Amino acid sequence: MSEVRIAKLFKSYGNVEILKDINLTVEDGAFVVLVGPSGCGKSTLLRCIAGLEPITSGTMTIGGKQVNDLPPAKREIAMVFQSYALYPHMDVYGNMAFGLKFAKVPKADIDRRVNEAARILQLEPLLKRRPRELSGGQRQRVAIGRAIVRKPQVFLFDEPLSNLDAALRINTRVEIAKLHKMLKATITYVTHDQVEAMTLADKIVVMNKGRIEQTGKPLDLYYRPVNLFVAGFIGSPAMNFLVAAAKKRDTLDLGDGHELAVKLPAACKVGDKVTLGCRPEHMTFGGSGKLKLTGTVDIIERLGESGFAYVRLPSGQTIIAEVRGDPKHGNGDKVDVALDAAQLHFFNSDGMRIE
Amino acid sequence: MASGTETGIVGMSRGTYLRLLAFFLAPAALIYTIFSIYPLIATIFNSLYLRQPDGSYLFSGLSNFYTLLTDTTWSVPFWNAFRNNCYFFLIHMLVQNPIGLALAAMLSLPRLRLRATYRTLIFMPTMLSVVIIGFIWQLILSPLWGIAKMFLQTFSLGFLFAPWLGQESSALLTISLISVWQFVGIPMILIYTALLAIPEELIDAATVDGLNQFQAFVWVKLPLILPTIGLVSILTFVNNFNAFDLIYAMKGALAGPNFSADIMGTLFYRTFFGNQLQLGDPSMGSTVATMMFIIILIGVMTYLFVIQRRMQRYSF
Amino acid sequence: MRKPASAIAVHGILGLYTALALFPILLVIMNSFKARNAIFGQPLSLPTPSTFSLIGYNKVFGDSSVVSYYVNSITVTGGTIFLTLLFGAMAAWALTEYKFRWNTLLALYLSIGIMVPIRLGSVSIIQLIVEMNLINTLTALILVYTAQNLPLSIFILSEFVAQIPKDLREAARCDGLSEYSIFFFIVLPLIRPAMATVAVFTMIPVWNDLWFPLLLAPTGGKQTITLGIQQFLGQYITDWNAVLSALSTAIIPVLILYVIFSRQLIRGLTSGAVK
Repeated sequence: MSEVRIAKLFKSYGNVEILKDINLTVEDGAFVVLVGPSGCGKSTLLRCIAGLEPITSGTMTIGGKQVNDLPPAKREIAMVFQSYALYPHMDVYGNMAFGLKFAKVPKADIDRRVNEAARILQLEPLLKRRPRELSGGQRQRVAIGRAIVRKPQVFLFDEPLSNLDAALRINTRVEIAKLHKMLKATITYVTHDQVEAMTLADKIVVMNKGRIEQTGKPLDLYYRPVNLFVAGFIGSPAMNFLVAAAKKRDTLDLGDGHELAVKLPAACKVGDKVTLGCRPEHMTFGGSGKLKLTGTVDIIERLGESGFAYVRLPSGQTIIAEVRGDPKHGNGDKVDVALDAAQLHFFNSDGMRIE
Repeated sequence: MASGTETGIVGMSRGTYLRLLAFFLAPAALIYTIFSIYPLIATIFNSLYLRQPDGSYLFSGLSNFYTLLTDTTWSVPFWNAFRNNCYFFLIHMLVQNPIGLALAAMLSLPRLRLRATYRTLIFMPTMLSVVIIGFIWQLILSPLWGIAKMFLQTFSLGFLFAPWLGQESSALLTISLISVWQFVGIPMILIYTALLAIPEELIDAATVDGLNQFQAFVWVKLPLILPTIGLVSILTFVNNFNAFDLIYAMKGALAGPNFSADIMGTLFYRTFFGNQLQLGDPSMGSTVATMMFIIILIGVMTYLFVIQRRMQRYSF
Repeated sequence: MRKPASAIAVHGILGLYTALALFPILLVIMNSFKARNAIFGQPLSLPTPSTFSLIGYNKVFGDSSVVSYYVNSITVTGGTIFLTLLFGAMAAWALTEYKFRWNTLLALYLSIGIMVPIRLGSVSIIQLIVEMNLINTLTALILVYTAQNLPLSIFILSEFVAQIPKDLREAARCDGLSEYSIFFFIVLPLIRPAMATVAVFTMIPVWNDLWFPLLLAPTGGKQTITLGIQQFLGQYITDWNAVLSALSTAIIPVLILYVIFSRQLIRGLTSGAVK
């Protein structure tokens, strides 16, 4: 069992609290992605798990063993760094074998493990090369190889794809997913890229300002974000938010002449301020129906098959709606945007989801 | 409380951490303290003691400084050395650094061929011992060998030749120029690299703005390398007020004729060790050294707090 | 350099200055291989078979101590470089990597020596060396030179240590290296180029110094080559063959080393002093 359990973890530098009350379990064999805007504490949390940063309070266990006071090497973890952190003065083989040598693993064993990792990652022809003679993608694979040979309980990835170009990033993402399946490894992975998070994770942890905002399966976060932050963070382009008041049990007043006939959640009382959320992909540009908003087209970004329209409402707010095909509308035209009644999200004045 | 919060390293206790710091820092800190800082402080202390006729020392406050600055036996040589040292510094500032700047400007011209060769060869004298340089020039300027005279005669200027090193009026200037000749490589290299750090696009932009090469240098490059020129100046200052080897090698401890080439370094040596004319006096030696320390400190402080503060540094 | 005329002018000036820089050195080396008559008769011409003579060199190397002066200089310079690099790199690493309360203050303290010349403490250095019974030993010189060179070497090496990516040091920690092993197996190999620069940088002033050998080891066969040559010159002042050969003996090895290391030296001057 190689699960990571974190309970009531706090971390501060001087008087500044970087991580606040973190409770998290990374199950055996799970792929957990920590995601959030820069400065949210996700990398610090990963470094705390690695043992590169001491924690201020709380407990942390890896594979059932408390590791609070253990240095990185004794935690049975392996880390893949954003910059790969390959030792420039050693060849690929040396880089992968280095940690094992210090762990006093027998030479034959080292050789076997390095060769196996090299085979899995197709690094065999490169074993004698120095890092500077490798491409970005190859370096990335060496960094992963260095982690694999250690046979850790937990793999830690710190934004491993952010130094790769776009095409290679997608390739490597797929490779990492395959590797996870093949090795049945427990992985904790930090990224700021929600596409990586959505595609790789069994479980996503959304962090903001040192706290965990929501933990859940990717689609849970997409369909049922618990608060405005998660709703706005997951999905691209971001969810549209409209501030409204509950006029009747089945009518929302947007305050700019729009009234929407929607069934409000039970927890919502008449007169409450409500934030209505709807993703661009759940809006139909130029559509019709009961639930519609009318505004003027600012600009349409055409991406080919689909695109996004920026529509200005009478209130002055701009919403983004998905565009399918090649609409006839041009800039400045008045259009209707239809909302999908099944895909609306409601948040109360504290920003929390209401059902 | 988890361990490692004080040290920043997980699982390391305070004791282990202190041992780690001691291992890495103690050797350097100890050698430096014992052989550099302690002697400096001890020298300053020494200057506060007076040597008694029986060889013992008596605390005397600032009386050594008073003697050095007012008693004519001491003050005349001291002010003479100080004046000479200022002159020595002035010559370096007026001759060495402008030549260094000009050479650097030429070396940094784009598409200059043989750049590395010029740079390496012009820097060569800087590498040699001052003792050797002093002797070489002594030979060249010697009327006995007559190389210098021969040169002047080639340009029908033979009448200009004089035993410059031997004349009271010209000895210091000659030595200063020899020192300039040897060390011009340092300002050259420092300014040269500062110039190389300026992006080519800035000069292209200036060219587009209608400036020629020379104007671009004066109006664009020169303002950008002012910090380096400031650094070169303070380095020159510290080196000049600490100089000794060249004058000792060429003229001996007496820095003759008639102390005309005497500077702080030679005065210090003479005061401390004594010579044909006087006995060595560690207290007064320390007093001279402390004065040199104060002079250099004033220079460095002026640089750090006045000159460097006013200068804008740019990063590209 | 678009206009050929200005290019020629620039090459003319640089060429002239280069000649000025080299002429005195070449003059001495050239004449050291000539007989006395030729030195005075045709000082500006190269040695020819009829004027060639090694009489000066015979005198210099006949004085057997010249060789031991060389050995002394090599020992002092080598010892100084070794201690300066080792202790300097260790201190640079600790100051850059570890947080502790007196970190900044200690760094400041160590940097005093960059600007304040250690020579000013000479009176007390002599007293100290006498008390330690190290007068006329090479050890005294090595210790003093190490103290003199540590500040700048720590300063330069710190810049390079700071450039080692943080990820790399942490990868090493994940790989199970102790802090000591990180220094010796990761940091030292990675700052080798910087250490070469500091080495060249340290070597020249130590090799050329006259002051401390004069004060701390002036006699007893412990002279360095610079002091030895100075004393030799004083002794043979009228023997031009000997003087020129002695000068050349001191110059040539330095020039050879310079030509080999000039790249490192110039890189060192630029990285260390400019920042």
